Amino acid sequence: MRFDVLETYLTGQFPRSEKLVEATRAAARGQISQSDLETAFRQDLAALGQLQRETGLRYYVDGQLNWQDLFRPFSMIFNGITYGGLIRWFDNNTFYRKPIIVGKVAFEHTYLEEYFRGNLLPDTAAKKAILPGPFTFTVMSQNNTEKSFADLVDDIAHALKELVRDLTNAGYRFFQFDEPSLCTRSTTEDELRIAGQALDTCANGTEAKTAVQTYFGDGGTIAGRLLDYPVDCIGLDFYSTSLESLREYSFGKEIGCGCIDGRNSLLESPEDSLRFLKKVREHLEPKSLSLCPNCDLAFLPHSIAEKKVRLLSEIAEKWGNDGRA
Amino acid sequence: MAEHKLFPVQEIGSLPKAPWLLAYLRGKKVDERAMQHLETWSKRIGFEAEPETKSTLSQTKNPERAEYLRDLASLFGIRFLEAAGLDYVYDGEANRIEMYEHPVRNSNGFEFYGHVRSFDDRYYRKAACVQKVGFRNPYHLHEFAYVSKRATRRIKVPVTGPYTIAEWSFNEFYQKTLREKYKDLRELKYEAKREFVLDIAREILRPNLQALVDAGAEWIQVDEPAATTKPDEVGFFVEAFNACTEGINCKLSVHICYSDYALLYPDILELKNCDQLALEFANRDNGRRESYDDLKLLGEYHDPREVGLGVADVHTDEVESPQLICDRIAYAAKILEPERIYVNPDCGLRTRTWDVAYSKLCNITKGAVMARKALS
Repeated sequence: MRFDVLETYLTGQFPRSEKLVEATRAAARGQISQSDLETAFRQDLAALGQLQRETGLRYYVDGQLNWQDLFRPFSMIFNGITYGGLIRWFDNNTFYRKPIIVGKVAFEHTYLEEYFRGNLLPDTAAKKAILPGPFTFTVMSQNNTEKSFADLVDDIAHALKELVRDLTNAGYRFFQFDEPSLCTRSTTEDELRIAGQALDTCANGTEAKTAVQTYFGDGGTIAGRLLDYPVDCIGLDFYSTSLESLREYSFGKEIGCGCIDGRNSLLESPEDSLRFLKKVREHLEPKSLSLCPNCDLAFLPHSIAEKKVRLLSEIAEKWGNDGRA
Repeated sequence: MAEHKLFPVQEIGSLPKAPWLLAYLRGKKVDERAMQHLETWSKRIGFEAEPETKSTLSQTKNPERAEYLRDLASLFGIRFLEAAGLDYVYDGEANRIEMYEHPVRNSNGFEFYGHVRSFDDRYYRKAACVQKVGFRNPYHLHEFAYVSKRATRRIKVPVTGPYTIAEWSFNEFYQKTLREKYKDLRELKYEAKREFVLDIAREILRPNLQALVDAGAEWIQVDEPAATTKPDEVGFFVEAFNACTEGINCKLSVHICYSDYALLYPDILELKNCDQLALEFANRDNGRRESYDDLKLLGEYHDPREVGLGVADVHTDEVESPQLICDRIAYAAKILEPERIYVNPDCGLRTRTWDVAYSKLCNITKGAVMARKALS
């Protein structure tokens, strides 16, 4: 099995430039206006669009530059959600504010352009949206309602489904659902079933490409279930997943091969990455293969993240040359 | 083991930075408010600022005077803790940039690339290890020599631990070195982390600890807030603690906070030279003292060590009353022998105002007095 073209894309938040870091600090101190801050955000986004164009990524993300964390925008976009104190973000030295579910979760069709800024990316770009998966969203939230866990997952999935519909109408062509909680804790069969049903709710009905993205944990422990999920692509963090643990499965889906580490500034050797990709192709025989970081690049300083994006491009080019050889 | 006095009160880490020091170091004018801070607190804590302090603060920044003022801030920290009634003091880490940057900037092998986000619009500078790490200078020696000359109470030196330094840094060098040996990326990252942590322990921490002991340090606290961040690496933290304290002849303790302490066991039983576990509890106290039930872990695992009991939350301005402090101590004393309990704030008070920090510390000492009376 050979794939001459290796699709590349980003899988999460992109770090803010040093200039934007300074702007957010200045805004917090009241030294610049919100309008100046917005200009700084747009400059970073324009640069990110340009970077993705230069490096030939197949799908473009907006970098979620103005998202405080994966869930915060949903306290605005969805009804029924507020947020609480700081909690460690999995096993990282970064923190998120815990969503607090206080009522029926529903999409109100507001704040879309504020938090999904694909309209500011180059016109020709195939846009990708990154969303919290309904299972992880629920696990990472505090449920202050009478709803059961399964019902809450279902509510969030339906709200996400409507969001996906609006974004599809706005031209988005790829939806990634982040589900790190599937592989970073002991997940029961029942939970895996609930997560699958919820993804079916979210993804069903869109013509766009869909992916479930796992990271910070061993995707091998739940690979059998992931393969049943109604998505086109399974994203795996190979810095947390042993390739060996996946060998028993037959991958009839695309694998999003997260082998560029978003949590280490060390730049991967393109040759090593190429060898690794070939191993994934040979051992797992997926339907197709794409190349991506294993998680957000926002854990890196901006200058290093840029280099990692260029690395994706370099590896894809070598793959193309190699594949045709 | 603990001395005869029940519930000795100990410092645990950093205090806020004095506004007059910050202004001077940033090359800004030391304004009236900062001067007022110096004067007010000098009277309140009996801080003996020298006559030339005022004139120094009105001058333009120069390296020699900056060092003089850093020492003065150190003295300020010592007197602050002493005036609050603590039995074991240091200087509130007045001489350090902060707990991560200070050791990293004073060791070999690290490079800073830029900011990464901690949360919201807060960022920190994260260093990358770009070559084998190494000792450059004994980076706590100057402050320790100063503190030991000036302090009138017993001293405990807080030092950032090897696992936390590694966990908060990017690991380039060790991962690059092992690339050929480990082809599985997960295995590569794991093994490279272990080498990184152990090298920091042996090459940076141990010579620093030895220098402190040679200079007369009697008690060193190794700060490891990251110890349980990656549960499968708790063993690295333990191995590194043992490596950096091997042959170090003084009392040693470890401070861990905001963690699931159950993850530490049973690995933590393998800490060879650790006399005390100083832990945070007050932040999670729901009023029924359930957070303090974690102390039962020590009994379950037959862990005989002392405990540094976090009795004041450092993340809130609400000042715990002496009665509340006393209740928390009394609750803990039902689980552990009272002789094994020291008391302290949950963690460093650097994010609180000087007023709040002082009130909390004063009430800790008052609460400890009440608990002593109640249990004697």
